[in-house]
Amino acid sequence: MTSMANAARLEAKAEREYEKRHNKMMMKKPGDIVFNIINYAVFTIFTIICIFPFYYLFINTISDNELVRKGLINFVPQGIHFENYIRLLQVNDLFGSFGITIARTILGTLFMVLASAFVGFLVTQKDMWGRSFWYRFLVITMYFNAGIIPWYLNMAMLGLTNSFWAYIIPGIVAPYNIILVKTYIESAIPGELQESASLDGASHLKIFWTIILPLSKPILATIAIFGAVGHWNSFQDSLILMQSAPKLYTLQHRLYIYLNTTSNLSALMSAGSTSGISKSVLDSALNGKVIKYTIAMVTIIPILLVYPFMQRYFEKGIMIGAVKG
Amino acid sequence: MKKEKVAQIAYYPYRIISVALLVILFFPGLNVARVSGLINRSTSLLTSGFSYGNLIANFGRAFKKGWVLESTMRLLNLSSLAICIGIIACAVGACLSLGNRKCKFTGNLFSTVGAVISACAMGGIWSAYFQIAATTKPSKVEPMFQNFFYIMLILLVAMAVISIAVLVLTGRPGKEEKFEMETRFKLFLMFLPFILLTFVFCYLPLWGWRYAFFDYKSGDTLSMANFAGFKWFGQLVRNKSTTRDIVNVMKNTLAMSGLGIATSWMPMAFAIFLSEIKNPRFRRFVQTFTTIPNFISWVLVFAIAFCIFSTDGFISSMMINLGVWSEGKNFLMSGSHTWLKMLLWGLWKGLGWSAIIYIAGISGIDQQLYEAATVDGAGRFQKMWHVTVPGLMPTFYVLLLMAVAGILSNGMDQYLVFENSSNTAQITVLDLYVYKMGIVKGAIPLSTVVGMLKSVISVTLLYVANTISKVLRGETIV
Repeated sequence: MTSMANAARLEAKAEREYEKRHNKMMMKKPGDIVFNIINYAVFTIFTIICIFPFYYLFINTISDNELVRKGLINFVPQGIHFENYIRLLQVNDLFGSFGITIARTILGTLFMVLASAFVGFLVTQKDMWGRSFWYRFLVITMYFNAGIIPWYLNMAMLGLTNSFWAYIIPGIVAPYNIILVKTYIESAIPGELQESASLDGASHLKIFWTIILPLSKPILATIAIFGAVGHWNSFQDSLILMQSAPKLYTLQHRLYIYLNTTSNLSALMSAGSTSGISKSVLDSALNGKVIKYTIAMVTIIPILLVYPFMQRYFEKGIMIGAVKG
Repeated sequence: MKKEKVAQIAYYPYRIISVALLVILFFPGLNVARVSGLINRSTSLLTSGFSYGNLIANFGRAFKKGWVLESTMRLLNLSSLAICIGIIACAVGACLSLGNRKCKFTGNLFSTVGAVISACAMGGIWSAYFQIAATTKPSKVEPMFQNFFYIMLILLVAMAVISIAVLVLTGRPGKEEKFEMETRFKLFLMFLPFILLTFVFCYLPLWGWRYAFFDYKSGDTLSMANFAGFKWFGQLVRNKSTTRDIVNVMKNTLAMSGLGIATSWMPMAFAIFLSEIKNPRFRRFVQTFTTIPNFISWVLVFAIAFCIFSTDGFISSMMINLGVWSEGKNFLMSGSHTWLKMLLWGLWKGLGWSAIIYIAGISGIDQQLYEAATVDGAGRFQKMWHVTVPGLMPTFYVLLLMAVAGILSNGMDQYLVFENSSNTAQITVLDLYVYKMGIVKGAIPLSTVVGMLKSVISVTLLYVANTISKVLRGETIV
């Protein structure tokens, strides 16, 4: 916590110095001015390319559906309403998938973070039997995998196909996160703290719970954020493992299915498919485009909402990873 | 003294067998209690023991018609439960065997009782099998005897014998002795559950490579009868259409990875030019918004692509409104420039994010270098080229080597979501090909072969990259 504040202060200081230095050197050569203009322009354009699609998607879900259908909503929303979002409540499958995705995000992240913290702590304990061997045993799994088919057959053999636990259990041990926690404990938490606690007779579990866990909050927040985003975005496991359990599809999988219904959803319904959309939705939502947009927006919104608050954790995450190489 | 030494040695098989037995509990494929085809394929021994409802889920009709007696299933259920409890007792015993004499003795009592109970309960499963085999309707009930039964029985009997032996050899602990265990073993026991999880989810799939050597269709069992040797490996070169597919897929894979590698300098350039912008607010703004696309999934990227490039998306409606086109075009359905499009989507998603590591790298470069360069009369671009770029090169090399090592693994999400009938020939990369062949079409052995070769080549490449890095820079990358 303090180290983070320190880092922020240092960064701000460095930035100020950087400013000063540059201002001093600023020579108003015409070449410099041209370079600056081009530079600003290129970055502005790229930034717009990055955010405009989100904006476009959003205004098309809240504008008048008839105008949207005609393709007239391109830059400014018109006839703002939120009915499309309310209508989504009638899409039964979607509601279930939303619940599944939230449940796996919360449970999966919780278990992964606790396990990473605990294992990260254990591998710093020098007197563990076979410590370096077992640590390597965990870490080496980052660099190989058997391939998707053996993985699938293994999950089937374990009875984890068409089961909610397939989302949670395989993700509990995350070697990369364990490395991050281990590095953090070794570098940021003084060993004397643990030593004095164990001299006072504290057990390992107690040391973990009262010293390590509270003090490693910054790194745990970082891996929690990455873990949560990963769970929210996960698609492959749902696609491959839940083939005969549509109730367990994640939100991303559901969105993928909706996007791939070639015609609009109403046509799909009249063809007699059971996509779970009630008749009233069909009558009111004349085109599937808006529904697809709205579902996509609902899937994006949590990430857009969380992102600004968590940005520093994201950036911290990649930096710690980089130090490890 | 000698007795204790013998006991020490006997503890090794004791521990190994108890861990093996514990793992077996979780595997539906190794469920000795699955004596009838009506029992769900995904029921493990643990489930058979603890969930009677799950065990008899499909037996409603069989009970009603009298094909199977309910008492038979009860027997099966109770026997499984006894085996489970016995095996858990053995595992507890094995854990305690790491402690002092008191721990060991108690653990031995546990495992002796547990192993004996389990071995006896195997008899219950045996008799349940014969009751089911005597059914009047074998075609519906499908009695089946798991050959694994014998292996399990041998393991349990061995466990019982060793337990009794070590019980005798260790001897009774003194009255005042307390339960104690060395710290190193205590820590290890805390670590053990995670080792088991890693083993089950990361190492055990390697055992699935054996499918590459069998004629296997989903639902079959593996036996010597359908052993195929290297037939599927040969198929890759002998079968014309498979070879053509593989060549095409490799072309796509290498092209897309190659384009990725060819543009891997772009995040560095992004960072360098961004740092030339003097307004910190603007820098922050750019950095924030260009990293967002990295955090949405490929499905959502496709949703974005859909709303911009489909028939009634942004581009088409703009063009129609401006009167340039008379009707919308669907860019996503066209098969042209697929590689380039995939590259651009990758850049859209990843460029801003990949630049962060270089931005941090730039702030780590010694400022005196810039000052010295200024004194020497270096201009802006000269400083960028002669100070900043060399400062970032180590990071660049590491990432480049990792990219080369991962040349076969482009992942499948991106290509799966963007795939359609008109671009499938250009977009199918190795990962997607394996998925489609194995999971969608069910050609499990052939796709296992391809996946296996890919894994081996990838690990080799990583090893080579690591060695190169060690030789050239004196540092490893993994």
